[in-house]
Amino acid sequence: MPDSSPQADLASLARLPPALAQVNALVLGKAHVVRLGFACLLAGGHLLLEDIPGVGKTTLAHALAATCGLGFQRVQFTSDLTPADIIGVGIYEQEQRRFKFHPGPLFTELLLADEINRGTPKVQSALLEAMAEGQVSVEGETRALPGVFTVIATQNPLDLAGTFPLPDSQLDRFLMRLSLGYPDAAAERALLTGSERRVLLRETRSVLTAADLLALRERVRAVSASPAVLEYLQALLGASRDHPDIRVGLSPRAGLALLAAARAWALLGGRSYVMPEDVQAVFIAVAAHRLQPQRNAERVALASALLAEVSVRA
Amino acid sequence: MSAARVPAPRPDARSFGLLSLTVAATLALHATHLPLWLSPPLALLLTLRWLGFRRGRRFPALLRYALVLTLPLGVIATYGTLFGRLPGAALAVGLLVLKLTETETRRDVHIAVAFAAFTLMSALLFGQSLLQTLLVCAALAPALATLLALQPSAGATRAILKTAVLRLAAALPVTLLAFVLVPRLATPLWGAPGMQQARTGISASMSPGAIGQLLVDDSPAFRVGFDGPIPPRAQRYFRAVVLWHFDGRTWTSGSAARHLPLEPLQALGPTQRYTISMEATRQTLLPALDMPLQAPAATRFTAARTLLADRPVDHGLRYTVSSATAYRLQPHLGARERALGLQLPGDDDPRARALALHWRTRYGDNPVAIIDAALHRFHDDGYRYTLTPPPLGRQQIDDFLFDTRAGFCEHYASAFVFLMRAAGIPARVVAGYQGGYANRAADYLLVRQADAHAWAEVWLRGRGWVRVDPTAAVRPDRISLGAIAAAQGAGARWYQAAWLVGLRDRIDVLNRLWDQSVVGFNALRQRGLLTRFGVDPQRWQSVALALGGALAVALAFGLALALREPAGERDALGRAFDRLQRRLTRRDHPRQPGEAPAHYLTRVAADLPAEQAAALRALSTQFVRLRYASTQPAPRLAVRDWIRRARELKP
Repeated sequence: MPDSSPQADLASLARLPPALAQVNALVLGKAHVVRLGFACLLAGGHLLLEDIPGVGKTTLAHALAATCGLGFQRVQFTSDLTPADIIGVGIYEQEQRRFKFHPGPLFTELLLADEINRGTPKVQSALLEAMAEGQVSVEGETRALPGVFTVIATQNPLDLAGTFPLPDSQLDRFLMRLSLGYPDAAAERALLTGSERRVLLRETRSVLTAADLLALRERVRAVSASPAVLEYLQALLGASRDHPDIRVGLSPRAGLALLAAARAWALLGGRSYVMPEDVQAVFIAVAAHRLQPQRNAERVALASALLAEVSVRA
Repeated sequence: MSAARVPAPRPDARSFGLLSLTVAATLALHATHLPLWLSPPLALLLTLRWLGFRRGRRFPALLRYALVLTLPLGVIATYGTLFGRLPGAALAVGLLVLKLTETETRRDVHIAVAFAAFTLMSALLFGQSLLQTLLVCAALAPALATLLALQPSAGATRAILKTAVLRLAAALPVTLLAFVLVPRLATPLWGAPGMQQARTGISASMSPGAIGQLLVDDSPAFRVGFDGPIPPRAQRYFRAVVLWHFDGRTWTSGSAARHLPLEPLQALGPTQRYTISMEATRQTLLPALDMPLQAPAATRFTAARTLLADRPVDHGLRYTVSSATAYRLQPHLGARERALGLQLPGDDDPRARALALHWRTRYGDNPVAIIDAALHRFHDDGYRYTLTPPPLGRQQIDDFLFDTRAGFCEHYASAFVFLMRAAGIPARVVAGYQGGYANRAADYLLVRQADAHAWAEVWLRGRGWVRVDPTAAVRPDRISLGAIAAAQGAGARWYQAAWLVGLRDRIDVLNRLWDQSVVGFNALRQRGLLTRFGVDPQRWQSVALALGGALAVALAFGLALALREPAGERDALGRAFDRLQRRLTRRDHPRQPGEAPAHYLTRVAADLPAEQAAALRALSTQFVRLRYASTQPAPRLAVRDWIRRARELKP
């Protein structure tokens, strides 16, 4: 349960750098993405990893879960996966003459939803509902998910045969969308010469606890955002709504997500207040997948264009 | 009313209050020339309507119809017509107030404001003085405020009024442009507003009481700027008309005098050069200091050296003249002049003739002694100076000289010339202005209508026409103080206090500037100004080009101002950062689009020598702390410190 006493806060703050370092040791050469992933966890958001197979999406999810000391479940989404497969089922027990609920993999602290776009819309929306509400209704009964419940979903943007791409409204449930991309030469060499990731992951010890994570989330909410920063943030939102190449701009929920992510980024930078730089650092990860472009436009490029166009009033 | 009809939105009480204020101001500005039966009832109606609206009452429609019918009838009863300036103004003001009685919707308020603005402007038809113009401008503020108050997002009344005043001020540049560039008509569109506005001033004849009316009129007649020092008061006689012919009642120039040759003039001392700015008179008479040497352009001399303009002075006139204050005028008198200078009507006023004959036999052919005798009589025999003399009978010279013995300049000049002629000395009446008020704030002489004066000229052998002022014999202070002061008796008065005199002087300087530069900006002067800038006002294309170009520039300027980021929202810290950024940009360190302030400063610091780099980084850190560390505005002292340090930085 959240322990928000100042000492505990400070202790969990102090454990952040080692936690980052540990994940960076597992996912090589992706410090920025790792930091964003952490920011997403700290802001209490769900993470969508979108990339081709084999660049370390799963490794990153595992590393985050292991480092943060979270209970971890992995679900491989396929087209025959049913909602009950992830939520759980009630099974009739002869001795007690009643149904007993057997919770599915959803009842965990960190759920890795692998290749989420291979699941049917039915399953997708069951998962996304759980993500939005923090609880699930099974057979008329509401069951709460763990307090830190977080989803890291992956999807392959290229291999689209037999997939059900997430609709824009559901993409909005993910606080950030990140891509890892190929490692650079040095990181790749280290990857090739070093031990196998799976072995390393098994040996990983947790640096944070679920309680730490909850305390840090509390702390993120306390990071202050000055009028100047809010003005800049609003300018960005406004620009996204007026941009000729964007069909649907950023929603107020996107604005809240942007602010939360910027707060977490500020905390990772050791500050108790947000700067425009924080907003800029998280902007593409938070905003790009929420923009609905006019045809022939690329979301990340649009988000970058927005960043370049909106001036930061001093 | 059918149930389906949606009632139009009723204006709020504040909009209606502001509208009422606008109408009240309009009414006040017109009150000076509206008939007395009209203004007080209108004011009462306005007040009642305002109170009624606040209580949510409607004005009874039948009463409104009755009033709408009564108004034009009343106007016709007063003026005999509905057309013209005065009836028009009365009708407009009346209808404006009546419009308020049916104002129930926002649309009505809009219409009423537009109508009020029109009626306000029409007040300028009755006077275009600086004060009047400023008052009309001031009354436009509540009109604009009314429109602003109608808007859904209207703020506090004080803010609305402030915005209204600011908008009025913002309209000034375009107003100036239009003032200079919009082509003027050589004659005004409407029936010459100058016509009734003009003070007639001295006229070409002098009947009893004519000057007396002028003497209580405090309005300016003309202003004189002297090239040298202003001459002493006793020399400031401005001749406007010479009156030869007396019919026993009225002095006129006389038709015979029209054909006399110009009287030769010989200057005996230094000459005075001066410029006179006339107010509109509708007359051709132009005053000039005794004795003008040459007639300026567009004017001509009469035989007796008074100036006549070629055209009536409808809109003021400026002319420059040189005069000799010591002179000899017409040393040799011709037979025709002599006959005119001795003309007397029939056989009226026998007692005066007898007196003159008595002097004639007593002093023989010594005119100076006769003049002295007449002046002594005025001075010693109980004559009074008064602006309200008792009425005179048929024998008016006799009545004045022997019975009432009370009057002002025209009585004395008239009686004196009569006596001289009866005694065989050629004499004539000169009417014009005497004295004037030397404005100490700006070196010029202000001559009012109240300075109108009449004096005499007698012809003496070897000396020519000599000025004699019989009024001075009665009341020397008429010449040293002025007519009103002389009539009221001397003595210090509150309105002569030094500070008040100084204030009046300054106000008159303003009025003079206004009259010369704004009211007097006529078609001729516009042409002069525009031609200097290569615009030919005769060719409309040229004017249109200049007007369109200037308006386009003004519009572009205004648009740029409007599109600029609102400066009002920038606080001191933001402005100081902008200044720093501009300085850095000039040093080739521009901020990238979308670059955050701290990032920018730190990046620039990397390119600077160590010392400045450290200073800039410190500035960046401090800026971040001031700007982002708190949700509250930064402490003022810290901001000031940052501004100072930013200014001291020498990149």
